[in-house]
Amino acid sequence: MAEAEAIVRVNGVHKYFTRGSERVDVLQGLSLSVPNGEFLALMGPSGSGKTTLLNLIAGLDTPSSGEVWIGSDLISKMSESQLATWRTRNVGFIFQFYHLLAVLTAYENVELPLLLLSMSAAERKQRVLTALDLVGLSDRLHHRPGQLSGGQQQRVGIARAIVTDPTLIVADEPTGDLDAKSADDILHLMGELQRELQKTIIMVTHDPKAAERAGRTLHLEKGKLVHEERRSKATAS
Amino acid sequence: MFQLTRLIIKNLRRNVLRTVLTALGTMVLVLAVTSVWSVLDFIDNQTADKANDFKILISDKNNAQGRLPRSYMESMRRGAARGSDDVVPDDYMTWAFYGGTLDPTKSSRENFLFLIACEPEKAPTMLDDLDQLGTADTARLNAAIEKMRKQPNGIIMGHEQLKLMNKEVGGRITVNGLTFKGLNLEFEIVDTFPKSAQRYGQTSIMNIEYLFQGIDEYDAKNKTKLASGVAPIAFEMLKVKNRQDYERLAAQIVNSPLYTSPAVRCESGGSAVSTFLASWKDIFWGMRWLLSPAILVTLSLVIANAISISVRERHQEIAVLKVLGFRPGQVMFLILGEAMLIGMVSGLISAGFTILFVNKFVGGIPIPIAWFDRFFIPQVALLWGLGIGGVTAFLGSILPAWSARGVRVADVFAKVT
Ligand SMILES: Nc1ncnc2c1ncn2[C@@H]1O[C@H](COP(=O)(O)OP(=O)(O)O)[C@@H](O)[C@H]1O
Ligand SMILES: [Mg+2]
Repeated sequence: MAEAEAIVRVNGVHKYFTRGSERVDVLQGLSLSVPNGEFLALMGPSGSGKTTLLNLIAGLDTPSSGEVWIGSDLISKMSESQLATWRTRNVGFIFQFYHLLAVLTAYENVELPLLLLSMSAAERKQRVLTALDLVGLSDRLHHRPGQLSGGQQQRVGIARAIVTDPTLIVADEPTGDLDAKSADDILHLMGELQRELQKTIIMVTHDPKAAERAGRTLHLEKGKLVHEERRSKATAS
Repeated sequence: MFQLTRLIIKNLRRNVLRTVLTALGTMVLVLAVTSVWSVLDFIDNQTADKANDFKILISDKNNAQGRLPRSYMESMRRGAARGSDDVVPDDYMTWAFYGGTLDPTKSSRENFLFLIACEPEKAPTMLDDLDQLGTADTARLNAAIEKMRKQPNGIIMGHEQLKLMNKEVGGRITVNGLTFKGLNLEFEIVDTFPKSAQRYGQTSIMNIEYLFQGIDEYDAKNKTKLASGVAPIAFEMLKVKNRQDYERLAAQIVNSPLYTSPAVRCESGGSAVSTFLASWKDIFWGMRWLLSPAILVTLSLVIANAISISVRERHQEIAVLKVLGFRPGQVMFLILGEAMLIGMVSGLISAGFTILFVNKFVGGIPIPIAWFDRFFIPQVALLWGLGIGGVTAFLGSILPAWSARGVRVADVFAKVT
């Protein structure tokens, strides 16, 4: 697995935001490569640019300069519409605060990304049920998010992220809002996704114990990222 | 697309109270617009010349309220044609108005009867829309007219008028004249106008010869002439096929030596009504160009308000949809669709309700103008409701939808953690 071909390649990426007339440089010439099937953790203090980097890799934002390749797709050059279509098939996103749609049931939330793909109703149903089964929520199909615990909601979030069968899964503090027990379950589940379904996972976390689950941890430092600092350390899970 | 529509419906369930309030607001305003448009539509119909059916109205030249003497009738029916070169109208109808009350001590609405005195056999061809009845209704109308010919005091009454007066077909009534003060006449109701002739629900017709006979009898009995009986005719209505004939006929009548005291004038059916309505012109103008747009703008704002609140509340959710791969256009479709669904459904319901309520329950919008005193909501109002709801919802939600379209995911989730 260690020598697998890189699925994510970030080449000399700069990203700055403008707040009024002030320019905030968040990422400066950052490069990164993630082999296929890796479970990567990103750590660093607040404001170090973890989320910014994750958004660039997930195609939610485009860099100010530099390139982001996912597989053979140069996503840093795609238009907003192209990125949207690309995301549906290629990335699953797991949020800290789950972000399920409150009016939809667990089943319907998981089904949502599939509505954007053309497939038969039967196949759609099959996929939704499989995904929910995988996260252990087969008995909560018709519950609304409000009727589920935080850990269960995050499971629905994970099911929604994997239902389109993307190669890449990104998670921004997926356990940040959970108690220790639920957090552990979620991390265990993510480990399974990586081991058994060969998903590439990039996870931002504050929690060193969470990072221990990852095959590799990258430390981003410096709040403003005036200098690019990239520390990596390999840890066995 | 179908799946997205399902999502829209689910979104509407999110805040049921707001959805219901928006829908109710839309319904009230659509009701208002529909009523206003019904009146305007009716007026437009009245004042529009039918392309192959030119009607000429001959009336007093100098006085809009003036009446014409009976001696004019015979020649007017022929369009004052004398020589063989003259144009002869295809059809005619003489109009007089006889109104009065069943109970002189109580002048309430249900006691008041207004009759068009005319040649009843001319009703099917000279009264608008009566030539477009189904076969059964036409047969029934013809039978009623035949009865009126045999029975001079027979009248055909609008079915709503009949109900209002609490009378039945076959009943007899005595009317104490108001338009012809002192002339009291007895009538027998021989039938009603068919219900399918909607605009005749409140119209009643009588034999003009019966009116004349009444005037003669009054004069003989009282040894003095009934003042209003000298000139009883409101106008003569003639029909020609085209504008050319219309113009020749009008010139022929106006220049005829037969009509000097009073002098007469000719106008097309539409323009005659227009003249009649001239004093109401400002009100119609205001209804058309101030009231209707004001209501429509209000409606757009109501919807814009509801939708922009809903979009603002849902910025994060919209961002989530975008993360999942919803394209900007699809996000816009969701928001526009949500607004238009509320707008169109409530517009349609409101129009349907307005038709039922105004036409069946209230019995028309009571605006007494000229000889029509009530307005009815046409069936086409269903389309108006759908259209008004859809278009105002579209206009009201286009900006919120555009802003939803532009929600930037990275900004929404930009939280330093
Ligand atoms: N959309 C944005 N607009 C302006 N500034 C932003 C935006 N997103 C992030 N930032 C800024 O970039 C810096 C890094 O943010 P972020 O990547 O969220 O940090 P982290 O996730 O490591 O805490 C912060 O200073 C943050 O305020
Ligand atoms: Mg962050």
